[in-house]
Amino acid sequence: MSQMKRNRLVLGDKTLKDITDDICAPLERFPSKGWVAMFLGAKTLFLFYAVILGIIIATGIGLLGVNHPIGWGTMIITFVFWIGIGHAGTLISAILFLFRQKWRTSVARTAEAMTVFAVMTAGLFPLLHTGRPWLDFWLFPYPNQRGPLWVNFRSPLLWDVFAVSTYATVSMVFWYIGLVPDFATIKDRAKNKIRKAVYGALSLGWRGTTRNWSHYEMLYLLLAGLSTPLVLSVHTIVSFDFAVAGLPGWHTTIFPPYFVAGAIFSGFAMVITLMTLVRIGFPQFKDYITIDHMEVMNKIIMTTGLMVGYAYGSEFFIAWYSGNMYENFVFKNRAFGPYGWSYWIMVTCNVIIPQLFWVKKFRRSIPIMFVVSIFVNIGMWFERYVITVTSLHRDFLPSNWGQYAWSFYDAAVLFGSFGMFLTLFLLYLRLFPAISIAEVKPVLNVGRDTKPKHH
Amino acid sequence: MGVKHNSGDQDAQGPAHEARPKERPIVERDNRYWLSLDHYAQDPEFLKKVDEEFGSSPLREDKEEGWARREFMKLMGASLALSTASCIRRPVQKIVPYAQQPEEVTNGVYNSYTTTISDGHETLGVLMRTREGRPLKVEGSPENPLQGGATTARSQAWLMSLYDPERLRGPQKNLFNEKRTNKDTVGVTWESADAAISEQLKKGDIALLTGSTSSPSLKSVIKDFSQGFRANHYVWDPISYEDIQAGQKASYGEEGLPFYRLDKAKMIVSIDADFLGSWLMPATYNHQFLATRNDIKNMSQLVVFDSNYSLTGANADIRVKIKPSQQIDVVMAILNELSKLGADVNGDLKATFADYASVGDEMGVDPELFKMIAKNLWDQRGKAVVLAGGPATQTEWGTSLQVAVNYLNSLLNAEGNTIYSQAMGNLAGGAQQLFALVKACGEGKVKTLIIHEANPFYALPTQAWNDIFKSVEMIITTAPLMNEVAQHAHYVLPMSHAFESWGDSEPVNGLYFLHQPTIRDMYDTRGLGLSLMTWAFMAKVGPERIQKAETYFEYVQAVWRDSIFSSQGKGRSFSQFWDDTLQTGFVGALPSSSGRGFNASALSDVKKIKGRSGLELVLYTTTAMGDGQNTNMSYLWEMPDPVTKIVWDNYASLSVNTAQKMDLHEGSVIDIKWMDQTLQLPVHIQPGLHNDVIAVALGFGRTMGGKIASHQGGNAYTLVKWQDTPVISGSSVEVSVVKGKKIELACTQGHHSMEGRQIVVEATVAEYSKNPGANIHRHKVWNFWPGHAYNGHKWAMAVDLNVCTGCSACVVACQSENNVPVVGKKYVLQGREMHWLRIDRYYTGTPENPETVFQPIMCQHCDNAPCETVCPVLATVHSDEGLNDMTYNRCVGTRYCSNNCPYKVRRFNWFNFRKVDEKPTQMAYNPDVTVRPRGVMEKCTFCVQRIKEGKLKAKLDGRTLKDGDIKTACETACPGNGIVFGDMNDPESRVAKVFKSEPRAYALLEEWHAAPSVRYLSKIRNNGKETMDRDSHSQKGDHS
Repeated sequence: MSQMKRNRLVLGDKTLKDITDDICAPLERFPSKGWVAMFLGAKTLFLFYAVILGIIIATGIGLLGVNHPIGWGTMIITFVFWIGIGHAGTLISAILFLFRQKWRTSVARTAEAMTVFAVMTAGLFPLLHTGRPWLDFWLFPYPNQRGPLWVNFRSPLLWDVFAVSTYATVSMVFWYIGLVPDFATIKDRAKNKIRKAVYGALSLGWRGTTRNWSHYEMLYLLLAGLSTPLVLSVHTIVSFDFAVAGLPGWHTTIFPPYFVAGAIFSGFAMVITLMTLVRIGFPQFKDYITIDHMEVMNKIIMTTGLMVGYAYGSEFFIAWYSGNMYENFVFKNRAFGPYGWSYWIMVTCNVIIPQLFWVKKFRRSIPIMFVVSIFVNIGMWFERYVITVTSLHRDFLPSNWGQYAWSFYDAAVLFGSFGMFLTLFLLYLRLFPAISIAEVKPVLNVGRDTKPKHH
Repeated sequence: MGVKHNSGDQDAQGPAHEARPKERPIVERDNRYWLSLDHYAQDPEFLKKVDEEFGSSPLREDKEEGWARREFMKLMGASLALSTASCIRRPVQKIVPYAQQPEEVTNGVYNSYTTTISDGHETLGVLMRTREGRPLKVEGSPENPLQGGATTARSQAWLMSLYDPERLRGPQKNLFNEKRTNKDTVGVTWESADAAISEQLKKGDIALLTGSTSSPSLKSVIKDFSQGFRANHYVWDPISYEDIQAGQKASYGEEGLPFYRLDKAKMIVSIDADFLGSWLMPATYNHQFLATRNDIKNMSQLVVFDSNYSLTGANADIRVKIKPSQQIDVVMAILNELSKLGADVNGDLKATFADYASVGDEMGVDPELFKMIAKNLWDQRGKAVVLAGGPATQTEWGTSLQVAVNYLNSLLNAEGNTIYSQAMGNLAGGAQQLFALVKACGEGKVKTLIIHEANPFYALPTQAWNDIFKSVEMIITTAPLMNEVAQHAHYVLPMSHAFESWGDSEPVNGLYFLHQPTIRDMYDTRGLGLSLMTWAFMAKVGPERIQKAETYFEYVQAVWRDSIFSSQGKGRSFSQFWDDTLQTGFVGALPSSSGRGFNASALSDVKKIKGRSGLELVLYTTTAMGDGQNTNMSYLWEMPDPVTKIVWDNYASLSVNTAQKMDLHEGSVIDIKWMDQTLQLPVHIQPGLHNDVIAVALGFGRTMGGKIASHQGGNAYTLVKWQDTPVISGSSVEVSVVKGKKIELACTQGHHSMEGRQIVVEATVAEYSKNPGANIHRHKVWNFWPGHAYNGHKWAMAVDLNVCTGCSACVVACQSENNVPVVGKKYVLQGREMHWLRIDRYYTGTPENPETVFQPIMCQHCDNAPCETVCPVLATVHSDEGLNDMTYNRCVGTRYCSNNCPYKVRRFNWFNFRKVDEKPTQMAYNPDVTVRPRGVMEKCTFCVQRIKEGKLKAKLDGRTLKDGDIKTACETACPGNGIVFGDMNDPESRVAKVFKSEPRAYALLEEWHAAPSVRYLSKIRNNGKETMDRDSHSQKGDHS
């Protein structure tokens, strides 16, 4: 049986040293004008975001459009959006690692970084959307002198607290452990003392011994195993926030898988968005993050997009099939009510536009995939908007029906959160090796026209 | 040195006596002890030296240097502030026990006092709940023969006018320039004001302008004063009942207003008389009307011919939309049908009435309608009444309408049965008197004008008349705050609030109410009575009574002793009689009368109104605003209009078709042109309005009515034609669209159709007779969990939709009891109103002719409460008595509970809504109810503080709790006893019986199985139909 020819994972005839040089270059040279411009923009947006959040905390959550009957709005929508984004990172770094998918090596680091920053961005929202954010610590079960007064373990919002905090912790540890050997490489290459000291400290005394590697790989494997269920559990529990409530349009059993698929869908779209930008910003990375990589991810986008589309259809079917008049009404109202426009934006962006990827040429075209990924991001934000707002705005008693009072602050919070994310991401690109040096080197020879060494 | 206080104890509690103006402490020199011979001799040189030596005493009263004491206080205050302000984090508030415990007062325990609220035309006997000497809540007085415990939204909000931050703190003098254009005022003392005024009064030519008053004492003091000073008294109300008076005069030769006994009526036909909303005495008529609706199989029938969509129309069994020019047609058409049924009508008249045989066709209604109405009236003769009145009937043809209605009533033998003639002699204000005053002012025959509870500068907003008033040498007003009159007055002598003063009322002849003060004067204010007495005393004029009485309280007692005691004393001593009356709040009984002969020749003036086309103006008064004179009460502005559910504005209502034809949308702005006046208003599209009607509420558009009332909406009084009998409605107006302008109307209800869901269940009497639980679809629900165990009490509530008129007294009562904040128009537009109890209003039928149902919605205190499971911090939990408790302290404000509440009764504090409250508004807060901070959820608690109060009281009395011991605020406010609260575990309680055996009871959203503790009782319509055949599926209201 003849062996199938694999495409090369690393292009250009790189030596091991080339790899190190290429990947360390952004850390070791003066930042480019493009990076500085983007960073200043992102940082300004981030500061604006901080000011807006300060005003909201000082004045009241009423500055946003949330009202009676729509108790949750932009903050929760954007929270679910960012948490969803994170999922692709964990899927790439953990699940694909367990399945020995070698192509993941060059994108895993950045995808994982995206996860960490997305979770950080997301994590602020549930804390700040409360009426009295300064009392948020009450959401955590801790020994106290109020009786002790415990939390309500029946509340999905509490499960959410656990799910998100676990996810944030595990992702960060997993990401950091992966960075350790690379930090050591940077330390070794450092030409000034401070740099040496900082990266030295970050590398936790890594010396590259066999014992180091042996422990490292075992730990990495274990953490990958630990992260894997989180990919499924976190968004399942986020979906419980809705599914466990009794509200028509929220109370559906399809939510957990539907949310997970949606999360991976949006996460991969965000990876595509960021990777195209990384490829433009650091042209030497094109050899590592190849069109093949992008194509694989586009296939995942298309697949999960179809899953999400199936869920949309299934919801309608069940609404009709259940014979529940409230459920029935909510879904009709979603598509044809006053918020119909948001529903159709969602369907267009999430179901129709990704169909472009059936065509191989489009799958492999950077401009097209960039545009599609932006649409998917927009569509997935609207998916959460549709779920949250349209279900709440017209429920049981028609006297309660109302409209979301979208305000300047809603827009400011939504766009400001991108400022925070991008600021962190741009700093990461400058300070951390954006591709795992230690992991790319072993796959250097995949698909190369040299004689296989072991056969 | 001794200090003599005249001012009394500032902390005195409870009913207080009106005091003479306070004097400053007078320092007297004590000569019994002497220091030296110089001192003993009172040598002036020596005394001066002593004064200087000890001159720094803060109590020193120095004639030349009057500021010394104040200077001292200022310096002390400033240094105190400097030395402390920088270190204090938050003000320390101490609860200090009474130095002298007042009688009757126990800290933390309510005392209730009977008193009376006179609100324009309605006089309500109420119980005032006070705590530590602070009036806190208006409750109905159940024994009161007139209202029987009913209250209105306005009376519930009345408290806010007592604690209005804008009330004047003392008498003011206006610093006019020559042209009287500037409006700066300075505070003056009563002494100086009295001195200046009595100087002015000596010049003679005095006129008093007041609103109509039902107070025997005030009328008497005015009479005495007028007699002494040869002053003229003019009575004028912006909204009066002159058409009825004129009709009475033409029909019977007597002017007095009748008193209607709707409780004795089985068939009521109303032509634009909004007796449930704002006509005459709404609390009384709500109470009377609802008394006829309890015995469902024999319940009364209400037919309303409605030019506006009034609250009464919304409660009609049969509502017919008309325009004002059809009012006479309607009455004549009924007369025509009646004449065929054997009523004693002579031949000529029969022929006249026959001209109206085709009215039904002209109006496009079912031809059988008038036959049916006439038949029902005839069958119930002696127990039927036809009403016409209100601003909508004050038209060019108003008198004719009244004559026709009077004739109809006389045929139905209503006089003496359902109509007691001549029973409301107190409402005597008329435009004729106002014209006489204007004429006198114009001719320079008035040198001093005293204005009390009348506001011609607002209601007569024409410049020419204002100028005439302004030509008067001195205007004195008793306005409690700087209003339109006050800005033109030389002296503003703010009157004490009704809750601070003694007084009396005679709302219907022979029934007397006492006004008892429930708090000492908060400010340096004085009632009109005492002012008139003071001036008469100073000028030494008037009869002995006005000279002799020291205080107005004494005067009131004197009047009662002279005139009321003799007929009502029933053998008691006067003091016993007085104390008994204070206990009950009233003395006397409802009037009665016998039938009178109708002067049939008056009918010859009744002419058909022909050739009217185009828009006809309908002005109306609203439940909340009344005539617009006392409206600086935020609760009223945020109370949704019972029918339109719009707050904070008035608007021009147009029918759906007319709006479509003119391409107008909700909030489009139009100019209403009538003669030389233009009024710009936003459009409200009102289902069920006649296509030729444009309806506008009066009472809005104050220019100086206080911060809350000013500049809200437009002043529709500009569209009134002021003549001897004012033409308020029926004028032909022109409407032009203001392009490109939109005024958003804040409506608290986004959607007006029930969407075919089982929300308000309705049935006809016929259906009810066959099956009392008709039209209620019951769901099979089951549960494998055992549910909560309620071993002690289990609180529950039942709401009878059949007696809910939507009057909204409960809404404001709840707000007042539970410190519910007012958020303002901006936030209502964003969906952030805070009412714990709201009244949902749904339209059923077609947009051309919808019927209305009301449903009060409060927290349903579900057994399987969806809110409880989702709160992450256990801030909302189930009590062992079935209450769904809200722990404000624990709430972090995730709002998950609100999202999961199927009834959406939870309200969130989006901001610190209390930040805008000014002192002393805080005094109106119920100390038993937490004032919620920003960021927490709140909702109806079933008045948990009252449950506690009732349980504690029973415990102290050593007995078990009885049904009815605990009454929620909404329950006590309801004029129809439509809300019942009680203990489900007491099988004898009213609420347990409803749950167990009332076939009309159903749970809202039963199929969702939240197991609510509230039951609604279906509404029954007595419309003569077999079934409620309309299909609510087919009809959708405006989408939000």
